[in-house]
Parts: sequence; structure tokens; C-alpha cells
Amino acid sequence: MMLRFLRFTVFVFALLAPSLAVCQEYRFPPPDFESGYELPETVVPPPRDSAYEYVDTAVFLLALILASYLIHKKRSRRAIYALVIFSLLYFGFWRRGCICPIGAIQNVTLTIFDSSYAIPITAAIFFVLPLVFTLFFGRTFCGAVCPLGMIQDVVLVRPVKVPLWLESALRVLAYAYLGAAVLFAATGSAFIICRYDPFVAFFRLSGNWNLLVFGTSLLLIGVFVGRPYCRFLCPYGVLLRQFSRLAKWRVTITPTECVKCRLCEDACPFGAIREPTEDWPTGQYRIAKKRLALFLVLLPVLVAGGAWGGHKLKAPLARMHPTVRTAERVYLEETGQIEGTDDVSDAFRATGRASGDLYREASMLRDRFALGGALLGGFLGFVVAGKLIALSVRRRRSDYEPDSAGCLACGRCYRYCPKEHERLNQKKERVPAH
Amino acid sequence: MTETMEQIPERDKGVGCQTARKTAIVGAVFAGVFTALLVANLIGSAVLGPARELKLDAMKLRVQKEPDNKELLAEIRQLDLKIRRDRLWRWEFDRKAAYMLLGSVVVFLIGAQVTRLLTREPPRPGPVRDVGEVQIETAVHARWAVAGAVVLLAGGAWLLYSRGAVDFVQAQDQGPAYASMAEMREQWPRFRGPGGAGVSMYTNIPTRWDGKTGEGILWKAEVPLAGRNSPVVWKDRIFLTGADPNAREVYCFDGFDGRLLWRGDVPTAPLPEDAELDLMEDTGYAASTAATDGRRVYAIFATGDVAAFDFNGRRLWRKNLGLPDNVYGYATSLETYENLVLIQYDQSDGTDGKSRFYALDGLSGRTVWDVRRALPNSWTSPVVVEVEGRHQLVTLSDPCAVAYDPADGRELWRAECATGDVAASPIYAGGLILVIEPYAQLAGIKPDGQGDVTETHIVWRMEEAGPDICSPVANDQYVYLMESEGLFVCCNVQTGEKLYEHDLRESFTASPSMVADKLYLLDMKGVMHIAEVGPKYKEITTCALGEECFASPAFVDGRIYIRGDENLYCIGEAPEAGPR
Repeated sequence: MMLRFLRFTVFVFALLAPSLAVCQEYRFPPPDFESGYELPETVVPPPRDSAYEYVDTAVFLLALILASYLIHKKRSRRAIYALVIFSLLYFGFWRRGCICPIGAIQNVTLTIFDSSYAIPITAAIFFVLPLVFTLFFGRTFCGAVCPLGMIQDVVLVRPVKVPLWLESALRVLAYAYLGAAVLFAATGSAFIICRYDPFVAFFRLSGNWNLLVFGTSLLLIGVFVGRPYCRFLCPYGVLLRQFSRLAKWRVTITPTECVKCRLCEDACPFGAIREPTEDWPTGQYRIAKKRLALFLVLLPVLVAGGAWGGHKLKAPLARMHPTVRTAERVYLEETGQIEGTDDVSDAFRATGRASGDLYREASMLRDRFALGGALLGGFLGFVVAGKLIALSVRRRRSDYEPDSAGCLACGRCYRYCPKEHERLNQKKERVPAH
Repeated sequence: MTETMEQIPERDKGVGCQTARKTAIVGAVFAGVFTALLVANLIGSAVLGPARELKLDAMKLRVQKEPDNKELLAEIRQLDLKIRRDRLWRWEFDRKAAYMLLGSVVVFLIGAQVTRLLTREPPRPGPVRDVGEVQIETAVHARWAVAGAVVLLAGGAWLLYSRGAVDFVQAQDQGPAYASMAEMREQWPRFRGPGGAGVSMYTNIPTRWDGKTGEGILWKAEVPLAGRNSPVVWKDRIFLTGADPNAREVYCFDGFDGRLLWRGDVPTAPLPEDAELDLMEDTGYAASTAATDGRRVYAIFATGDVAAFDFNGRRLWRKNLGLPDNVYGYATSLETYENLVLIQYDQSDGTDGKSRFYALDGLSGRTVWDVRRALPNSWTSPVVVEVEGRHQLVTLSDPCAVAYDPADGRELWRAECATGDVAASPIYAGGLILVIEPYAQLAGIKPDGQGDVTETHIVWRMEEAGPDICSPVANDQYVYLMESEGLFVCCNVQTGEKLYEHDLRESFTASPSMVADKLYLLDMKGVMHIAEVGPKYKEITTCALGEECFASPAFVDGRIYIRGDENLYCIGEAPEAGPR
């Protein structure tokens, strides 16, 4: 017990420490002596060679193919783990967490809503490929390629089971995050998925203090709770969940048939193994039908209520847009409600633009957020209603099987199945015969 | 690794497990050590860095006072270099330690993961449960949990909503962050009113009052701290400043009843150890008149402290320009131009590069531009005038009148026209810039030249009078000069020809003012001599305030605001009852 406590404490410090190291900003003014010294011209590093983008794309495609093969055909956790490490090193530390399909949601959104924005081809490919692979093979991208998932995978030391009810509630956060990310990207406000990427600071060994704390907290939670970001926050995971439901070949725990031995019951650290179901008592059916009817009626109410609430939130939502923020800052300064100025308001004034123009632009932007907020609220209302309906419908399962949406295709459950051991033994026996 | 685990003999498992556990501990210990080093480095830079930087700032302040102190300059360079070296060293240390830490964490994780694999228990399913009941129960809990999540989201949304927001539609109607020139002309926004001309656009200014009986005096308010600066008026707010060796303050009085609405404190920047401030008693700490751009009020004091306040008394910024090296004490008043606060900061003898003209951003106090002036200390105030549709910032110091573009500080023209301790400010009238050389002359300069216009644009010089303190007042025909001993002189603006002189036999420090066809001349005893504008002196009346007066009055819409030695007076008629 003592050792466990010691280990955990040290681990906490060990994870927090890089944050302390990199949170400092080393910016200081140039010397102000008039000694004739001329400051060298600031050199902007050239962009990364475009050839590397194709290399990244090729590596990404190969990793997905390999992951699908290892998960479905080879069924080898060891091989999958090797690919996990590779993905973490390549897409995480080498490519510094960029580009990734999660952030590419925003590129795709912006290119839909802003005709002047051309999405980079790599961003489009990175966005589409995992979805296509998920349609055929399930979430193999999550299982072995996503660097954000991988960094959480390697810190998972003492997994504990999150109750299903809690998981259902927490998953709403991911929908809200996805909706907000789409809204802010569509309005040209911000790419919040990238801005608030909790792990990119670790990949780059540099980052903002708040994000480091956020990322460290997630990793600390990740020591006990398998992949908290992927399960409860990842906006791309929301899309993958829906695509995974339609997957042609899903991950199966057993290579042949389920013998209902219950050995795999607690195998999944992500709570994605579903038990066989039993018939409900007769009385429950009637109640369940009424409940379902109620939630079906509630669906438009929740959508409308969400849309109304989202519309009301146009002002705070619009604050994500830099122009609106600048306008608010300038207004507060000009009316003496805050002391001093900041770089943003100074920069605005240096443009010589009249503040009235800025207010007009901010006002128009806020109106756009009224519509966007209503759509976001309506979407969340729909999600909540959908969840309530889904939780009121009886599922029929005869075997232990991975959740069609929630399974991250990591292959951890294979070795729990006696049929898998049987398959492996048969395979071994066949080898000498050759 | 996972598939072969079962094949490892128990003995080897035990050894492997111990090795993995030890590896994890070693990794954790190293992680702890590097964490400690990083924290120590962080604390080091948080403690040492600011202390050194404060010291450097203090030295930089000193060097402003002693620009020729080579030893001090060398010391500053050395300290600056030390600070930079230290920062770079710490930066590099952090970088290396972070890498080492990352390595330690990786070692720890490998050890921990292997330990976990080797100590993993085989699956042991629990007792058989009633799956149907459990699933129903889980669904119930899940529905409530989803409802709870909705409540939390709604609560968060409410918090966001309740923060309030700026009404941009209303904000658009508020106009720019400073008043227009037309608005300025309707107020008294600086020393001697719009353009520093001492001319009021109003015709309904009172001509009758008596301090002894209170007749015509609307209200009287005590001013907390002394100062010889003049009232600045913006609608129903009257601004003054006051100071003593211990405090510098800005006051806002209610024009309606003279209530002190607020008093704003201007903290003094720490002075260098050897700093001395020799002030003439007549000058004091608050001789400079404040200025307003219609949104904020700005004040400067003899200590070089400048500050901005909004109309509600909230201090927006303050800064110190360094202790002015001024033989009688700093007395130049402020001017504004659009969003800029214009500060003529003439010092010393003009050879040491201390004199500067600053244009500060009114909102932030940031220096927008500043120019060095090879001119000695002066007591005149700059004026912004409109010449042929373009604005010029005109200044006067020994020996030059210099005009700048107020937007960027570019010098437009200069003319050598006044020597000595110049205190009377320039004005613009009849198409000429009128400048006074104390005890010597009045000169008229055409302000449409470029470069040195001494030989080409000085239209006339009138050498029969030259007030030492009071600024002139003029219209397109006549210019009036007030000598501090009471000799009042009138000249033709276009030719400089002297038309009359009249000895009022009183002492004056307040500059003469012009309201429609009347001249208002306030002597030091507080008696206002009201005379007709014209080629001959014709006194209309005199009104005594009953208190000594040194500052120039303000004339706005039916009222005169006069600062006495201790009180501020509002002369005028009580407004009709009704909403303010």
C-alpha cells in the first residue's frame, strides 16, 4: 500500500514537473542602448517541406491498414501495442501532434462555411481516412493510430471501471465539445480543438500553463480511468462512434463463438464490453413503452428549448471571436470600465479604424452567433433526447460482445477469451505440421 | 508480451517483477529529482529576476537624470547583460531538465506497465447476477445522469449568460473615444479654452457679481489642495488639480452645485535618492492646467507625474516623465489632439537633450510619439490650431516658436522670435501665430512656411511691450497684451501697430479673455475688469470676488468659473427648475 502511494505521488510530481519547466515565457525586450547595434532581421522559418505531408499521409494510411490487419486478422495485442508506440512517437512526438483528424474537423467545417478558405489536402485526407476505415473495420484508428489515445494508453496503470450511467452522462460533454468546435470554426472564431488540445504541450515539450495543468490532470485521471479524453471529450470520437455502429467488420472478443464463460466481463478498461441481455419482466415493458413515448414527445421540446437557450447565449459565444473580444475590450476601455489597455486594443488603435466600425462588425458577428447558438443548442437538445430514447430501448444480445460504438479496437479483450487461446494453440500445433 | 506472460515460469516472473518494480522506482526517483531541480530553477527566476529588473529600472530612471554618467551607463549595461545571461542559462537548464524528466517518466511507465503485466491476476468472474434487473437499474441511473448533465450544462450556460455583454448597437452611437473639434469649441477643455486662445464662443456670460454680497455667485466650493492652475470645463463637470509636497490630486466639481464629485489621487513615482525639486512658491506643485478630450481628463504636476482619469474619477493610467529640471518649477499646461495628450516637457538649458515633446495615447498612456527639442526650460503651453484645414501644434521656447504635425510629431516650421524666460503662450489669430518675448516684443508669424521661417514669415514685430506671464488674447482685428504690473496694451493684429495702452494699476497673472465684444481682465486681488473690445480702452464695469486670484477663468454657456486662492467660484444665474 505504502509503495503504491509512493509510486502514485512520485508519478504525480513527475507528470507535473514538465509543466513547470515549460510554462515560463522567455520573452524580454531587446537592449535599449543606442550603441549602434542593429538587431538582426527577424527570420520566419520556412514552412515544412510539402513532401513531408505526403509522407505523413502515407504513414497514416499504412498505420490504419496495419492496425486493421492486426486487430481483425492477427488479433495480436502485442503487435497492436508496438503500433501504439510507433504512432505515439511518430504522430505524437515526431509530428508534434499535428496534423490529426480530430483537429481536421475544424478545417472541414471552415471550408464548408468560408468560401475563401481552401482546406489543405492532407487535412481532408486525415479527416476522411479514419471515418472510411471505421465504416469497414470499426475504430481501428482509436485503437492503434491516434496519438492522443496512445499517450493515455501508455499511462493506464490501474484501470477502474466507470459505471455505465456515469459514462452515459459524461459522453454528453463530447457532443457539446463537437458542437462548439463546429460553431467556432464555422464562424471563423477559433479552432478550439487545437487551441485546447490537452496533450500537444507534452508532444512539443512546451505550452501554456493552463493547458499543461489540464493535460496533466487528464493523464493523472488516465492512470485509473482508461482514456478519459477519448471517451468523454473527443469530438472526433463522436463521429467515429456513429460510423462504428455501421461498421462492416466489427471487433469481436471471441474468434469463433461465445461460450458465455464471463471471463471477459471486466477485460475492457474502457467499459465497452456488453453482457448478454435477458427478457424484461412483463410489467417493465408497459412502463418502458410509456417512457419511450414520453421521450419521443420530449424530443422536439428539447430541441426547441436547446435552440432557444443557444440563441440566448449569442453574446458569450461570440466572445470566442477575436473581433468581438477586441470590440468589448475597446468599449470597456473607452468607457473607463477597465484600467489601461492591452496589446490587442493598442493594435486596433494603431490601425486608425474608428471604434464605431469595430462595434458594427462585432454586432454583425454576434447576430451570426445567434443563429449558430440556436443550431448548437438544438443539436444538444437532440443529442440529449436521443440519449434518453436510446436508454429506454431494450437491446437484445445473446453473447458478450464489444459495444458497437464504444469499442476502441485495442485488442485487450482477446486474451481473456478461452476460444482465443484455443485458436492460438491450434495455430501453434499447425506450425510443426508445415 | 501479453500473450507469452502465462508461459513465463513463476520464479522468473518474480525476478522480472522485482526488476520492473525497481526500474519504476528508479524512474520515479529521477523524475522527483528533476522535478525538484525544475521547481528550484523556477523559484530562482521568480525571486532573482524581478529583483534585478527593479534595480535595473531604478538605474534607468537615474540615467535619465544623468545622461552623461558613463559609470552608471556601464553599470546598467553590465546588469542588463547579467540578467539576459541568467535568463538564457535558466532557459537552457529547463529545456535539458525537461528532457531528462521525460526520460525518467518513460522509464517509470515502462517499469510500472511491466510490473502490472507480471502481477496481473487471472480473471475471476463474480457471482451470477440477475442481468435483467441490473440492466434496468443501470438504464434508470443513466437517464438520471443524462438529466443531471443537462442541468449542469444549463447551469454553465446560465453563468455565461449572466455575465452580461456590451451593447454594440448602443456603443456605435457613442462615437469616437474623444470629442470632436466642434464639441471642443463648445467647452473649455484646457488652459484658456479651445485652442488656448482665451476666447469664448458664448455671448451670455455674466457681467455683474459681487463676492462680498454673493450677488451673481451661483456657488462657491473649497478646493482641497492649492494650485495655480485654471478650471477646465466639460458640460457639468469642472476639473482642477491641486498638490503639495506629499500629494497630487485631480478634482471634479459638479457644475450644478459645486459639490466635489471626486478627487483622484496621483501617486508619485519613487524619486532617485539624490533628486531635488526646487520650486518657486508662486509656481507650486500644480501650476499646470489639466486638459480633457471630452472623455477623460489628464493632469500633470511639477514632479513629472502625469495621470488620466475618466469622468467618474477612475484613474486609467499614470506615468512619470522624470523629475523636470526647471529653474522656477514646471508650469506648462497640457493640450489634447484627438486621442493624444500633448506634453511640452522643456528642461534644463537645452544642450543636454533632456527637453522633449511627448504625445501619449489618452486611453493607455502609451507614448505614441516623442521628439527631442534642443530648447531650454520654458513655461509656455502648446496649442493646436487649424491652419488652412490642417492642424498644427505650436510651441514656444527660447529662442524659437516651433510647429509640429500633432499626429506624428513631424516638425513643420520654426522661427527664432523669443528669448529669455518665456511664459506667455502663443495664440493664433488673424491668420498669424502671435508670440511674446518677455519684456521685449510681440511678433506675428505666418504659419504656412516650412523649415526655418525666421527670415521669411515673421510678418511684424512690435517692440513696445512684452508681458512676462500673461498670454495675449486677440480677434481678427486686435490683439491685447497684459503686463503683470497692469499695463494693458492693444495692437493691430495685421500690422502690429500699437493702438493704445492703459495702466490698470493692479497686478495680473491671469491672462486676459475675450467674450464676444468684451474683454475680461482678472487682477490678482480678484477684481474682474470688464472692458469693450476695440481700438480704445473703455471699461464697462468691475466686479470684485473678494479673494485673490492667480489663474485664468473659464467661460462656458452663461457661467464664469474662477479659481480663487482657496475656492472655486461659479458665477452665473441659477438654472431654471427641471431635470438636469
